[in-house]
Order: sequence, then C-alpha cells, then structure tokens
Amino acid sequence: MKKNKANIIKRRPIDIVIDTVIIVFFSLFTLICIFPFYYLFINTISDNDLVSRGLINFIPQGIHFSNYVALQNVTDLGSSILVTVARTILGTGLMVVVSAWAGYMVTKQKMWKRSFWYRALVITMYFNAGLVPWYMNMLMLGLTDNFLAYIIPGMVAPYNIILVKTYIESIPASLEESAVIDGASTPRVFRSIIWPLSIPILATIAIFGAVGNWNSFQDSLLLMSNKPQLYTLQHRLYIYLNTYSNLGAAMSSSGGVSNTAIQNMLNTKVVKYTISMVTIIPILVVYPVMQRYFVKGIMLGAVKG
Amino acid sequence: MELNAALPNQVTGVKKRSTFVEIINRLLILIAGFLVFFPQVNPGRISLKINQNTSLFTTAISYDTITASLARPLRMKWVTPEQFYTLMAGAAILLLGIIVCAVGACMSLGNNRMKKRASFFPLAGSLSMLGGLGVIYYSYTSVLATVTEAGKLNNVQPNFPNGIYVFAVVAVLILLSSLVQMFIVMRRTSEAKMEMEEKYRLFLMFMPVLFLTFLFSYLPIYGWRFAFFDYKVGDTLSMDNFVGLKWFAYLFENPATRMDLVRVLRNTLIMSGLGIATSWLPIAFAVLLAEVRSSKFQRFVQTFTTIPNFISWVLVYSFALAIFASDGFINNFLTNVFGIVSDTDYLASADNIWLKMLLWGTWKGVGWSAIIYIAGIAGIDQQLYEAARVDGAGRWQCIWHVTIPGLMPTYCVMLLMSIAGILSNGMEQYLVFENALNKDVIEVLDLYVYNIGIKDGLIPISTVVGISKSLIGITLLFCANRVSKAVRGESII
Repeated sequence: MKKNKANIIKRRPIDIVIDTVIIVFFSLFTLICIFPFYYLFINTISDNDLVSRGLINFIPQGIHFSNYVALQNVTDLGSSILVTVARTILGTGLMVVVSAWAGYMVTKQKMWKRSFWYRALVITMYFNAGLVPWYMNMLMLGLTDNFLAYIIPGMVAPYNIILVKTYIESIPASLEESAVIDGASTPRVFRSIIWPLSIPILATIAIFGAVGNWNSFQDSLLLMSNKPQLYTLQHRLYIYLNTYSNLGAAMSSSGGVSNTAIQNMLNTKVVKYTISMVTIIPILVVYPVMQRYFVKGIMLGAVKG
Repeated sequence: MELNAALPNQVTGVKKRSTFVEIINRLLILIAGFLVFFPQVNPGRISLKINQNTSLFTTAISYDTITASLARPLRMKWVTPEQFYTLMAGAAILLLGIIVCAVGACMSLGNNRMKKRASFFPLAGSLSMLGGLGVIYYSYTSVLATVTEAGKLNNVQPNFPNGIYVFAVVAVLILLSSLVQMFIVMRRTSEAKMEMEEKYRLFLMFMPVLFLTFLFSYLPIYGWRFAFFDYKVGDTLSMDNFVGLKWFAYLFENPATRMDLVRVLRNTLIMSGLGIATSWLPIAFAVLLAEVRSSKFQRFVQTFTTIPNFISWVLVYSFALAIFASDGFINNFLTNVFGIVSDTDYLASADNIWLKMLLWGTWKGVGWSAIIYIAGIAGIDQQLYEAARVDGAGRWQCIWHVTIPGLMPTYCVMLLMSIAGILSNGMEQYLVFENALNKDVIEVLDLYVYNIGIKDGLIPISTVVGISKSLIGITLLFCANRVSKAVRGESII
C-alpha cells in the first residue's frame, strides 16, 4: 500500500468507503465459496458423536481420522474409485493424444476435402441428436454396461481439437518445413516437432479433461444401469446421498474392522461427508496446478472455429 | 479404353482418376462397414431371444449381451456356451474380413503399384466375410439341432437371420468387383515405389477421428426413427408399428402431455431467462475486483471463488445437504447459537426454487466466468486510461467509458451463445436437486426428456421432444450467428 501513496492521497472519502465496501463484499463472497468445503472437512475429522448432535459448526473438536480409514468398509466404494481413476487416466490420455493428432491434421491444407471434414467435426459441438437417440445409439453399439463407454466417446473432443489447432497454427511453419526437407514423415514431424512444442496447450486440455472425467456422472447414470460395479464415484456419491438409511446397514453387514469404528461410522451423515471429501480431495490437489492454465482453459468455452 | 488412357498418364505422371469399378468396390466396402452397426441386419441374431438392438459389432465383442436373455436355456443345457462362442468367432471373422477390405480400399487410393497390392485385400476380406457367415450359419444349425432335440423351440426361438443374406450379397459383390478391379490394375505398368498422393495420405491419417465422430455424433441421428414408430423397449421396428407423425401430433393434442410440455418449457425459459438476466454479474465481479488495489487480495479472491466451478453438481448437492438439510449447518447454527429449535429442510420445499437454482449456479460459476473478463481487463491498453484521466475522467467514468466497452465484444459472444442455448440448461443440476415436492417447478426440458425417455421408457415421445429441441437449438444458433455477423461483422461459430 505504501508505494501507492500518491494515489491514496488523491482518494476522496467516498472512494475509501467504496473500496471498503468492495473489499468486504469480496471477503464475504470468498467466505461463502469456501465455507462448505471447510464445514464438511471439520465434520469428518471431529468426534462423531458431537457431529451427529450437530454441535460442530465452526471449530473441529476431538480430532481423529478414523472415518477416512473406515471408508474401506463402504460397499462398492472401492470399485467406484478404481473405475473413476481408470477412466480419468485412460480417458484423459487418449483424449489428449487424439486431440493433438486431430488438431495437427486439420492444419493440413493439402488434405482431401479438409474444410468439409473440419466443419463436420466442429458442428458436432453445437448440434446433438438428443439424449434418447444418443442412448439408443450407445445401446446399439453395445456400449451400455461396458467400461469402454467411458473412454471411447470422449476421445474426440471438438473444442480441444480447435484449441490445439489454433495453437499449432501459431508455431512457425518453418520448423515443420525444415523437418520435411530433412525427410521426416508426417507422423515423425508430429512426434518430434508438433507434440513437444504443443505441450502447454496439451497440458491445459489434459488437466481440464481430467477434472471432467473425475466429475463425470451423467454417462454412468445413463449407461451403467445393470452394472453397479462400473458406477463412477460421483454416481456412487449421488446414490449414497439419496439413500440415508441403507448406508448404515451396508456398512455394518460388511464388517471386518473393529466395532468401535463401525459404530462411529454408523452415523450416515458422517459417511456422506467423508465420501464427499474423498471425492473433492483430488480436485483440491490438482487445483493449484490448474490455476496456471486458467486463462487458456476458459478459452475452451469461447474459441471459435 | 480405360487401359489405353492409362498408359500415357503413367508416363507423364498425371494423376489418373479412379475407375468406375474401383469406386463401386469402395462404396460396397463402406456400406459393409456401416451395416456392422445396424441391428436390423445383424447376421448374428440366431435366436429371437438375442436383444434385437444388438448389432453385428456387439455380437462380436460382448458375450454378455448376446446371452443376456438366454441364461435359463444355458443353465438347462439346451444350448451350450460353445455355440455362442462359435457365433462370436464367426462375427469376429466377418468383422475382420470387413476391416481387411477397408484396408484394401484405403490402399487403392495410392499409385498403381499400391493398387496392385491393394487389390488382394478385398479379395481376401470378402472370402473371410463369407467364411464368417459360414461359421455363424454353422452355429445357427447347431443351436437349432440341440434345441429341437430338447424340444424347447419356444424357449430359445432359433431364427435364421436375414442379415446373413444381406452380408452374403455384399460380400459376393465385393468379391466380384475386386476381381474385375484386379484384372484392370494388373495390366497396368507399375511404378518403382508404392506411393500415395499426399492429400489422400493425410485424409487416411485423419479418418479414424472422423470415424469416431460419425459413430458418436452423427449415427445417433439414425435414432430419430424411433419418433415414427410405436416403440417400446425390446420391440422390433417394422411396418406394423409404423405410426408416421402420430407422436408429433400426440404431443400437442394430448392434454396431459401438452400441459407437461408447457410446464417444462416455462421452467426452462425462466431458468435460462434468469441466467441471461444475470449474465452481467461476472463483468461486475471482474470490474470490481480490478478496483481492489492489493493484487494479493485479488489473487486470493480469484483462487477461492473459482474452486466451486470444478466440483460436480453431485458435490454441490452434498454441500447443499450439509448446509440446508434439516440436520445441516443452518439449523444447527440457529439451535446452538440463538437457541431457536429449528429443523426446516430447506431443500425439500419448492418455494423460490428458480431463485435458489440461480443462486447455486451463480455460486458455482461466477468466479470462473469472471476470469475471462479479468483477462480482458488486463488486456486493455493502459494508454486509454491515461488518456481518459487526462481528459478529466474519474474512477467511474474510466470504468464506464473504457473498461466496459473493452469487455463488450466478449460479452456479446457469451450472450449470443447463451441465447442460442436457451433450451439446454443441462440436466445434472436439476436432477440432483429434484425431489417429489419440487418436481413440477424444477423439471427443465433436458431433465424431462431424461425422465420420460430413460426412466419411464417412453422412447418415441421423448425422441420427438429431443428432435424438436435439436432443430430449434440449431436454428437459434444460426440466427445468433447471423445477428453477430450483422452487428459485429464476426461470426461466433
């Protein structure tokens, strides 16, 4: 503040009032944004008895982490985590590779009917046949109750392809030309020149893709109705949130851990909070990394073809 | 004549056009490739118990799908798993044959030397297709035999699939055309090396992406046919249940569905309308945040107001439960701090649900949406501000005359896009918050389609709604684009 002394002197009293109001407003809004995270967290680490009586509002009491340990008894949670991790890694990896390759290919003016194919690809961002025809199509392709349904449809992401294309177009063409003169084939140019130079944009789409995969809920809900072991974590959480009472039963029947832990966990509220926290934590972990890519990432929604 | 024309072209290196037979050959292979995904011509449906939505592709990859309704016959040993493995093997050989054909069709885009090599592929591929059909037929006869022996024809319902004829005809045509094609290219002189023109090479390298796009974005349009049939899950589409435009008329003539539609459209338009009416909030957020002098505070606010954007709606709902449910924060807080005994479940009521949904959307999205404007403000030329100040502009005049106009182009694009998407609010938010009490006011179009189509299984009527929505959506988008072109001279798509 000191270095802005000149400015401060110029400020009129009304400005100071306005500045204070703005700061108070933003502080409050920030508080509202982070409070649910905090509230859930303190409730998962506090004494379960106090939590069930609703006494933990701002300050954690009787801190312990056994709720997180006891989660291993929640039926089906393990498979959901496995499925979600697998789809996040595989789905994101393939999406990035396909986007990079497709983004590179659509920069090739020499391709047969390039602009036609490119337009056909881009229009799919704005047009879809509708939920039910899409579902019937997945049924027809045998991609219901099938793990591949999480991976294959997400491989071609037009937004990301456009993003990569725009980025590649900004790479000096001379780099590619010199490689071609040295006899490099198209895949070779892609591997040795385009891929390494596009890492910044690929990292952007990778991280946003990974968050999207981690948060995926709709495809699991629609397509996996007969295979509960393939539910994603969000879908599992949704089910837990909507079945208050059965959760305690599911936990106590599975057994295996000391009775006190189970007794503590019988509180469905705590179970829900803890599962929610487990679902959030990976997002919070990658969040600081993501922030670096924000400005590029928001362009995801605002690029034009 | 074809051959006479070929020679000079080879010498001068001018690209020779594909022969007629070659084009027919490629078309046939393309058709065979498409037929793989159409359940109606699945040659693998050797029993009527096999789900009629199973395509050849599914038959080849999923044992579970084909035997889904045959658990009892399998258990009673009327049929054996081997018979179905044979069926899968036959389907796989058939698929492999088509893939080999497709490779040949791709290679036939090359020069003569490549064409010569390529001409063997459809030959081998079509033979493999016929072989695969043979294996499928074998598994059919074997099923028929064991089932007849057990006297359980009604339980298994063996069925000679018409798809066998279709694929056999296609395979034979491919075989014939590729023989002719082979005869033609073998008489040509060939080059020293196998080569392909760059434009085709690039196209072939891009083709897998196009194939996936077709499969998941264009093929669903074929599902629109359900709108014209009296279809229930598990039925067969045939001329018997073809009803023409009955469902389109039904949607508007049946009082119950008409009421539903009006209600759902009201919800949709109100929610979208509220979203559009508050679409200036991110700008206000960005502009006010830029007024804060401490950049540390700015970063702090930005960091923590953006987090909610990255959690799913299910988690938002979890938060909502934690804060607003009867045992949630608000009630506990009132009880503990003010001593008011309260256990209101704020989520269960339908009061002000539109406003609540708007607030949740704002809570989740405003920080994130503001980023694009914050970046926009950073991109505004500082000289403009200096010039304005020299002219005597105060703080608010700077905002009003420099910052806001600088952000307008971005805002226009955003606004037009949200107007174009007025019918699609997505369904996740409303699905998670939906309950018996607020269903009437929270159900938006996307959720309605999900509820009647997937949950209640009313496929035709939900398809009709979906088709209308898609068509209106694309029309609105093109209108918005036209407006954008007229006003700003730039298109948004």
